[in-house]
Amino acid sequence: MKRTIGYKLSIFAFLLPALILFIGVLIAPIIMSAYYSFFNWKVGYPLTDFIGVKNYVELFTSKSIGFMKALGNSLLLALLSVFIQLPLALLLALKLGKKIPGERAFLSVYFMPVLISTVVIGQLWLKIYNPEYGLLNVALRSLGLESWTRIWLGTKETALGACFVPILWQYVGYHMLLMYAGVKGVPPELNEAAMLDGCTESQVNRYIIIPYIKPILRVSVIFAVTGSLKSFDLIYVLTNGGPFHATEVPSTLMISMLFLRNRYGMGSTIAVMLIILCFAFALLISLAFKEEK
Amino acid sequence: MKKFVALLLAAIMLLSMTSVFADEKTTLTMWCIATESDANRPAYEKAIAEFEAAHPDIEIKWEAFENQSYKTKIKSAMSDPDSLPDIFFTWAGAFLGDFADMGTAYCLDEAYKPFADQLPEVMLQNASYGGKHYGVPLTMNIVTLFANMDLLAKAGWDHVPQTYEDLTACCDALVAAGITPFGCAGKETWCVTEYLEPIIEKTIGYEALNDVFAGKATWNNEGIATAVATFQEMINKGYFDPNGMALGNDEVKANFIAGKYAFYQNGSWNCGEVNDAEGNFQVALFPVMNAEKATYGQVIGGPSDTLAVSSHSKNVELAAQAAFELGRGICHYGYLAGSGLPAWTPDYDTSAVKALVSDVAKIVAESEGMVLFGDTAMSADPANTYLDYVSQVYGCAIDGAGFIEGLAGDLQ
Repeated sequence: MKRTIGYKLSIFAFLLPALILFIGVLIAPIIMSAYYSFFNWKVGYPLTDFIGVKNYVELFTSKSIGFMKALGNSLLLALLSVFIQLPLALLLALKLGKKIPGERAFLSVYFMPVLISTVVIGQLWLKIYNPEYGLLNVALRSLGLESWTRIWLGTKETALGACFVPILWQYVGYHMLLMYAGVKGVPPELNEAAMLDGCTESQVNRYIIIPYIKPILRVSVIFAVTGSLKSFDLIYVLTNGGPFHATEVPSTLMISMLFLRNRYGMGSTIAVMLIILCFAFALLISLAFKEEK
Repeated sequence: MKKFVALLLAAIMLLSMTSVFADEKTTLTMWCIATESDANRPAYEKAIAEFEAAHPDIEIKWEAFENQSYKTKIKSAMSDPDSLPDIFFTWAGAFLGDFADMGTAYCLDEAYKPFADQLPEVMLQNASYGGKHYGVPLTMNIVTLFANMDLLAKAGWDHVPQTYEDLTACCDALVAAGITPFGCAGKETWCVTEYLEPIIEKTIGYEALNDVFAGKATWNNEGIATAVATFQEMINKGYFDPNGMALGNDEVKANFIAGKYAFYQNGSWNCGEVNDAEGNFQVALFPVMNAEKATYGQVIGGPSDTLAVSSHSKNVELAAQAAFELGRGICHYGYLAGSGLPAWTPDYDTSAVKALVSDVAKIVAESEGMVLFGDTAMSADPANTYLDYVSQVYGCAIDGAGFIEGLAGDLQ
């Protein structure tokens, strides 16, 4: 009995530092943010103006804050990530998983954008989209498609799409690598047996490999959706939420509320909403995959 | 022998301790935005070196941050005033007003007295709250219309237009000659205000605009709607580079200096850079739109760049005195470098001042009214709401009526 208690105590002792770190770095800030979200708080002033859920009501109803529009943009990005980015990553993973010549080189090339700093990628795409000397407009002009040229990041009709392209492009390699590892983990005898039974390559992919790597696909979908909800860096570099809030996402809105408008209460409200949305979507996706299982 | 060595070591230790105490200096910390690429950097370096030479017992430990990130940093430091440095750069108006209101900025009334004959009290106006002074002004700047005279000559103009009719005729001639009249950075909304605010001021007059910015009068003013309509008419006539919407200020300024635009309206802190560029440049003001309410000499601007002292500083009185001395030095060297007009009365040789800076100084000396930059005059939340609307005006997403009604509804 004594030995069991001692054993449990030692487990607790070893877990304690990690637990303290987890609570201090993750749980406590979330609780503090939730607490601040109930105040009309300007930093530097005392935290006295308790307003209950007014920040939440304002967040969802105020047109000048535009949270619903920002959330809509994030959800659109999530949709594009799931239906464009992930299928593309899967396609590449399936092709590269078939031991094609130059497999390693292709892997490195597709994964390279993930390794490059997002700010660098943002600067790169800023140059591509530059209305005067940018690669895109120059290419269109040289192809005689002058009428197709646009101020890609400066007009609200094109800015959102122009921001999404590099975001989707950057993380294709990341998801591809996850799925590639899964594809490589499929026992070769399964593939061989299917081939002997007369399956085509696409049938092997559809009935053997994809079902086998479903847990990885689930992780990829969760990462893609939550990553879209939290998207910030590339949009901040490319447009900073402009023009006229056309590319605003919840994170850029949160930065604006916290550091430009000094509304720490409202900024905390957006932070709490982001956490809730990310957890909710992760849970929903897990449930969806569970049902299919 | 051992005793001798021990005595020698003890003597060395004592000596080194003496030298430590002898070298002990008071350190004052300072934050500012004079980064390596900032036009004001040399002025800060010279002023600090001069100060340290005059006060060998004081060391200034200073850090410079990029403008936008500095706003974030200094506002975050507000929540923990002990993390503020002894002296910090700030913008006057509502920005410094928040520090004064919270009690984190130290009142400089006493420290100002010995400098009163060198720094006119009117220059402290934007950094004064409740009759008390909280900031040391460095330089003052106004919105200036820079003109490339070589490009104007190509369109048949030998002078900068002084009336709106002349300006539109000049712009039409420039467009016909294939020259873009104006460049404006839509990516940085403060650059749009550099165009819109002078147009509003020259339509409703500086007193009316001051009242609107101060919240004493409503935004729902027909004159403001007319000014917005004028600005948008200029945009729709093709007077502005359409690519400007996706460009930052540095790119637009580079385009102007490279001869792509005939005009560039921005702060007078650009005088030094434009003056040193190749070409024939002149400075002027935006013309009058409504002569019944405004005059040509009314300007947007004023002393805004300021040094403040943290009330939590351990050497608060010393820091206050240092802030004034440093402010005077930065003003001196900044004026000579062309990065601003002097808020302090010059007591040095000004014959080396750049031509464009002298021209702007003359404009200021003859000014008939001044309105502080809108986003400086208003506190953070309303200022950003205002900038949102200005951005929509530039993109023609709202018209004059939408602008005044929206701001009247959201701000008052």
